[in-house]
Amino acid sequence: MEQKSDTFLANAATAMNDTAAAQRRDIMAAFTPIIRQQSIDGFSSYEPTRKHLKRVRQHTLNHLAHYLAEFETQALANGNHVHFARTPQELNSTVLDICQQHSARRIAKGKSMVTEETGLTAELEKAGLQVIETDLGEYIVQQAGETPSHIVGPALHKSADDVRQLFLDIHPLGERELEHTSDMVAEAREVLRTHFLQAEVGIIGANALIAENGYAMLVTNEGNGDLCANLPPVLVICTTIDRVLPRAEDATAMLRLLVRSATGQPQTCYTSFYSGPRRAQDQDGPVEVHIVLLDNERSDILDSEYRGILECLRCGACLNHCPIYQSVGGHAYGWVYQGPMGSVLTPLLTSLEQSAALPNACTACGRCEEVCPADIPLPAMLRDLRAREYTEKLTPARWRFGIAAHAWLAQRPRLYHSLSGIAVKLLRLLGRRKGYLRHLPFAGGWSSQRDFPAPQAATFMQQLHDKQRRERQRHEH
Amino acid sequence: MSTEARSAIFARLQTASAEATANDILRESWALGHAPYPPLPCENTEQAFLTNVLSNRGTVDHAQDRSAAVKAIGRYLYTHYRTQRFVAGNDPRLAAMPWRDAGLLPRFGTVEVGEPLTVGFARLGVAELGATVSWTGKGNPSANNLLAEHHITLVDSADIVATSEDAWPRIQADMERIGRPRGINFVAGPSSTADIEGQLVCGAHGPRAWHVIVIGKLPKDALANALATTADK
Ligand code: SF4
Repeated sequence: MEQKSDTFLANAATAMNDTAAAQRRDIMAAFTPIIRQQSIDGFSSYEPTRKHLKRVRQHTLNHLAHYLAEFETQALANGNHVHFARTPQELNSTVLDICQQHSARRIAKGKSMVTEETGLTAELEKAGLQVIETDLGEYIVQQAGETPSHIVGPALHKSADDVRQLFLDIHPLGERELEHTSDMVAEAREVLRTHFLQAEVGIIGANALIAENGYAMLVTNEGNGDLCANLPPVLVICTTIDRVLPRAEDATAMLRLLVRSATGQPQTCYTSFYSGPRRAQDQDGPVEVHIVLLDNERSDILDSEYRGILECLRCGACLNHCPIYQSVGGHAYGWVYQGPMGSVLTPLLTSLEQSAALPNACTACGRCEEVCPADIPLPAMLRDLRAREYTEKLTPARWRFGIAAHAWLAQRPRLYHSLSGIAVKLLRLLGRRKGYLRHLPFAGGWSSQRDFPAPQAATFMQQLHDKQRRERQRHEH
Repeated sequence: MSTEARSAIFARLQTASAEATANDILRESWALGHAPYPPLPCENTEQAFLTNVLSNRGTVDHAQDRSAAVKAIGRYLYTHYRTQRFVAGNDPRLAAMPWRDAGLLPRFGTVEVGEPLTVGFARLGVAELGATVSWTGKGNPSANNLLAEHHITLVDSADIVATSEDAWPRIQADMERIGRPRGINFVAGPSSTADIEGQLVCGAHGPRAWHVIVIGKLPKDALANALATTADK
């Protein structure tokens, strides 16, 4: 997928100027946290499960080479073909090879952020294959020529009217109303059913890989992933090396947090574990199964201070609770992953230079860390990335100068206090009539959007010193 | 390419992984223990199962024995489709059901496009999840879970367990007996989507309705209580 994170600020401005879309984001921002909270409130083991899962994930990542090798051994014993890909290009060409070996023309694809990351669909289409996304949200954005705006709900940026018009335009089904959402869902079901039945290859992602038995876990509500996994004669599972868990019970324990955090449900409608191609006793299922395991920088992340981001469950809770995501929406982030997790992951998977704006898209409110079921210190990681931007000189020179000047001053407390005292006095003086200032010197960008309230009193340190002086005097009397 | 990629990836992972022998790792993983016990909506496992199936937008019924189950299926088929026909997997437990008691006409095998009703026999019910669990195979072609409009699942009350931690050893025991099945499917509701404006619609790609019939002994009033609890919500 083409990356546009370097124009984050412009993307954000465009998104915020679209009033109707902003209203839809406001509605989502209001109700998604409520749904999650209700679900967590009804699950009294949330906190201990979170701690348990953290230990399991850390243990697995500490011994990833061991568990990945164990998964591979078991998956091969189950009759799968296991492939490794270092880069997105390697994954794409591996999958294309598989499709071409089977002279496939039609591909039914389930939701997979990994294949969004590698741009697989575009690559297969370039080779003349017809690839249809079958998750309803993914189908909508694919047909609209857009990209997902949310890792869980890819089309939540679109209104029902948008979808209605889209379906009327693209499905040659004659006169019809599509009045209700259920009519649109029924139409997509009808259209996609034919595709499922005709596809020669199914492509899905995996939410977890189980080392002890070589199964891949797939979680969906629609059942589209399972149709992709069961109907076409060839199945390709694309996922990343960090999805391994030691035991099957770890995967179901993880689901308790993942599903509640993502959609507020206690359990998704379909949770399936697939071991490989059809067995002698099977009446259906793929004849051949390939598992493609992508690295794409993850082994480097594993060896860095950002290892914790590999514990991400892809639940989307940090997006739903992030004031920046809520304001600017997912497309502003300019790549596959959005919100706080995207602002950490995108620079690590692509380059900090290309995505320098993302770690700064943070108010440091800490809500993301608070709601993250994997307990990932997202604000600290974002802060570290900002610090790296500074040391790698990616931060604009003006900012760097400001930060350096502040650091210099902060190391000279006396000078700092007297200068800040003068500045506060000056601001009080300038803002005394209205109680606020329209423009701030050296912070034109900040005050272009809001007024600065004039300080009401002296600086904190001055007030503290005054208080201490008064108390001393009282004691002396 | 893949072999080369594999070696390169494993070489990177080895450097990034902690140094430990397989035994150390095993010991460490044992020390992780199990996930904390998840809360159930009530003490009774069967009632908790029924309650959670209902909260997952499934519908439920109870039958004392196989003959009553057949009649319950008959009622469901009549109410929804005015039919006696449906498709069932080649599960010996389904084959042994007294279908004639309700004048039903099952076709055993894999569902074909356009056939609206399937009946399956789950291997387990998991109360914590409100889910039934079955494995793919002759007795349960995966298409039967996915392609029908209405999917009816039978489960023996003795096969209802409290949590997924209780389910895995049972699944494991079966695997030792019959080998690893191709698919282990936890179903917890009719297929659904909220991809358009967050509005929930049932019947996205799979069945629009999911009906669970528990066969065998249930604690007194378990079904009535489960229905009452969910009606309150
Ligand atoms: S970082 Fe945490 S909250 Fe965000 S998607 Fe990942 S697991 Fe969910």
